Amino acid sequence: MANALAMPKPGQFTEECTIVKWRKKEGDPVAKGEILFEIETDKSNMEVESFFEGVLLKIVVPEGVPVPVQSVVGYVGQPGEKVPDAPPSPPPKPKAAPAPETRTAPSPTPVAPAPARAAAPAFPGAPPPPAALAPPPPPAAAPPAPRAISPRARRLAREMAIDPAKIEGSGPNGRVVEKDVRDYLAARGYDRLRVTPAALELARREGVDILDVNGSGAEGRITVEDIRNAVAERPQPMSRMRQVIAERLTHSFTTTPHFFVTVAVDMTDLTEVRREAKARGAPYTVTDCIAYAVVRALTEFPAFNSVSDGRAVRRRTSVNLGLAVSLENGLVVPVVRRAQDLSFAELRAASVALVAKAREGKLTPDEMTGGTFTISNMGMLDVENFTAIINPGESGILAVSSTLPRPWVRDGRIVVRQIMKMTVSADHRLIDGATAAGFVNAIRKRLEDRTLWTNLMWS
Amino acid sequence: MDEFDVVVIGGGPGGYPAAIAAARRGAKTALIEGGPLGGTCLNWGCIPTKTLIAGAELVEQIRHAEAMGVRVGEVKPDYAAMVARKDRVVGELNKGVATLLKSNGVEVVQGWASFESRRQLRVKAADGAERRVRAAKTIIATGSASIVPKMLPKSPRVLESQGFLAQRELPRRLLVMGGGYIGCELACLAAALGSEVTIVELLDDILLLLDPDARKEVRRYMESELKIRVLTGRALESAVEKGTEIEAKVGGETVVADGLLVAVGRRPFTEGLRPERAGVEMDERGFIRVDDRNRTSAANIYAIGDVNGILQLAHAATSQGLVAAEDATGGRPAPNETVIPGVIFTMPEVAVAGLTEEAARKAGRAVKVGRFPFAALGKAKAAGRTGGFVKWIADAETDQLLGAQAVGAHATELIAEAAMAVRAELTAVEVGRTVHAHPTFAEAWMEAAHAVHGGAIHLPPPRKR
Repeated sequence: MANALAMPKPGQFTEECTIVKWRKKEGDPVAKGEILFEIETDKSNMEVESFFEGVLLKIVVPEGVPVPVQSVVGYVGQPGEKVPDAPPSPPPKPKAAPAPETRTAPSPTPVAPAPARAAAPAFPGAPPPPAALAPPPPPAAAPPAPRAISPRARRLAREMAIDPAKIEGSGPNGRVVEKDVRDYLAARGYDRLRVTPAALELARREGVDILDVNGSGAEGRITVEDIRNAVAERPQPMSRMRQVIAERLTHSFTTTPHFFVTVAVDMTDLTEVRREAKARGAPYTVTDCIAYAVVRALTEFPAFNSVSDGRAVRRRTSVNLGLAVSLENGLVVPVVRRAQDLSFAELRAASVALVAKAREGKLTPDEMTGGTFTISNMGMLDVENFTAIINPGESGILAVSSTLPRPWVRDGRIVVRQIMKMTVSADHRLIDGATAAGFVNAIRKRLEDRTLWTNLMWS
Repeated sequence: MDEFDVVVIGGGPGGYPAAIAAARRGAKTALIEGGPLGGTCLNWGCIPTKTLIAGAELVEQIRHAEAMGVRVGEVKPDYAAMVARKDRVVGELNKGVATLLKSNGVEVVQGWASFESRRQLRVKAADGAERRVRAAKTIIATGSASIVPKMLPKSPRVLESQGFLAQRELPRRLLVMGGGYIGCELACLAAALGSEVTIVELLDDILLLLDPDARKEVRRYMESELKIRVLTGRALESAVEKGTEIEAKVGGETVVADGLLVAVGRRPFTEGLRPERAGVEMDERGFIRVDDRNRTSAANIYAIGDVNGILQLAHAATSQGLVAAEDATGGRPAPNETVIPGVIFTMPEVAVAGLTEEAARKAGRAVKVGRFPFAALGKAKAAGRTGGFVKWIADAETDQLLGAQAVGAHATELIAEAAMAVRAELTAVEVGRTVHAHPTFAEAWMEAAHAVHGGAIHLPPPRKR
């Protein structure tokens, strides 16, 4: 009997995964430990190795179809071995997850948020809300009910390259008949349209409504280029990652009352100490120093390490520090767990390793969840100042900008100093201005403490 | 000092139409030209070659007259007389251009122009007299000149096209360096009038701007009927003058000839113009950089035709000249046309419009080709001109006609319809439905359009797969 390949469960809360690429074709030999396929969850991509030796006998789940974890996705065995006709349970049920399972499952439609995630973001790990209180799942994005239209009317609409859904039907129950199409064409001035034959053909083929296209040719003639532009301007679905980013940040920004406090930090001393340390072979980055200063400040200001839904507040005993990492088409936030227990060197080592994994797209979902506070550093992008959106489940985020030489008043004189602005975003439901000011200044004071960094980097 | 709204530098097929168009739009216009009016096209290019080729064509037709039932005596081409006729034709057209410019109120300034600033030009006449001209807008239309590699000997037997056309007699043995359209046209001319011709081309084939099927058709006739030796994929390594002969080394072989025609391309002609003084940018090869309305990097200065390197064809220059003239006189013209037909007066003639099949495929487009041979066309049979074919290149998805080529009798005239169809974005179905008069050569387009979908009436039905 052939060995069944199961969809792995890459994270604690992952219920559903998609194979984005099969690296092997049916009939390819497979060695133990060889990569069989790549999967995509709502957070990351991952390569899956074979536990078996033999030949890939059958691919059950093709690329691009989300299936529940543990589903059989294919079979490896000896050539000629029999493969069961119906895969054993649990069978792949694309996009048929029942309501409670939608906690972390991809949302059923590209734009509708997953309902349960929206309901309880403040308490990840808390039991899901009772089903009765959860908002009803959004209606499935079924295509709009097919409008009744006669075959002749449909053919004419296609011939003319127009969208028949826009036509008012005069038949029984609003059925669109050929006369309606003709009346519509006359009302919209179709006769006055100037379209090149090739453009019309392309519009038919691409399903472009020619009445929506502005012609750029002589006397407004619609050309092939105009149709190509119309096709290029059609909405395209965003990547899974962008959709998750969109959903999470929209939720955070629209439900969390943000406010922002900015301070300017004199980084001159720290820059010098770093340069000396680097010359000795201890290359700490500004990010390392900020992370360390933030972790220390969080232990002094526990409100920033807590989370609230407006009714209750939950304190977290450990600091799980998120570090926003930008990728080619999005961003991920790896989390350094129990950061308060780490020395400066340990914190650096942990964050370097996580950031490298993030860049390679190899973070596991568990390495991207459970954060209690996040740092977003745009220092290398030459910016004066910016504000960041709080990650769902957290109460604050620190936006770090570039360190730039600036005129600075010191002992009553204007001197040139290395100045870095940073802005904390805080959840006003839980945190007031004084707390935020105290917190951000606690970070600033540490960063400006030459002795502290000299000691830390010498150790 | 004289002030003009528009000054055009160069009186070729780009410059003089631009000057006329600007003047007709009400601009006070001057045209500066140091040589004869009409430029390379009229004096040393299109017109003189076609005048001479018309004679050679006639010789070639008479040679085949017996097949048409016409017996003729000995054919004696008189090259000196042909050249005299060419000079007459050119002279008449020169005068025609001068008259046109005058009647449109364009002031012709004789001499060579040089920028002194963005708005001021110095014009030096042949007698050394200098004149300064101020221009609100300037259109540079100075054209191009033949490239002559430095390795070649300086000799009256080594000529580029302009010198070649000035000869009173043809060399008995002609070596042509370069298998582009200029080299091939003049090779056919000389071969049809009795010269022994050898073409040396560095690249893998001659006439590389055409698709392989069209090239093959032309090359076959040139080799088998005109007895031209075509050496491709080989460099002309050296050439020396020995007495009255040119001795050339071509890939280990020695080719001896009485004349060497150099036709390896043309470079932008900007000698003495000093465009940099006006802030006009040029690329590394010396072509003036322009946008799609021929505007240079300097405000109010345009460059059209060969000197901007877009496409070195007279009719491209004319079209660009009209765009530039409209823009320079306050109009808002559409950008330069992109469908520019190309015509080559080899024997047989060949012409191209739009994308070639090779270019369309290279651009990643799925294409369908419809071909129709003249051998299957009643009129071609009747005229005894059955060599060649026409073909359409259509987009496989939308049926849009992307390009066309024609080889054979009247190919250079026939291409006009194809250019119109490609520019108007017609589909193969539309052209197939367009009734073409019978019996004509132009019917071939209709049949070839049907052939795109496997439906040419006068071809065997497509094989069922």
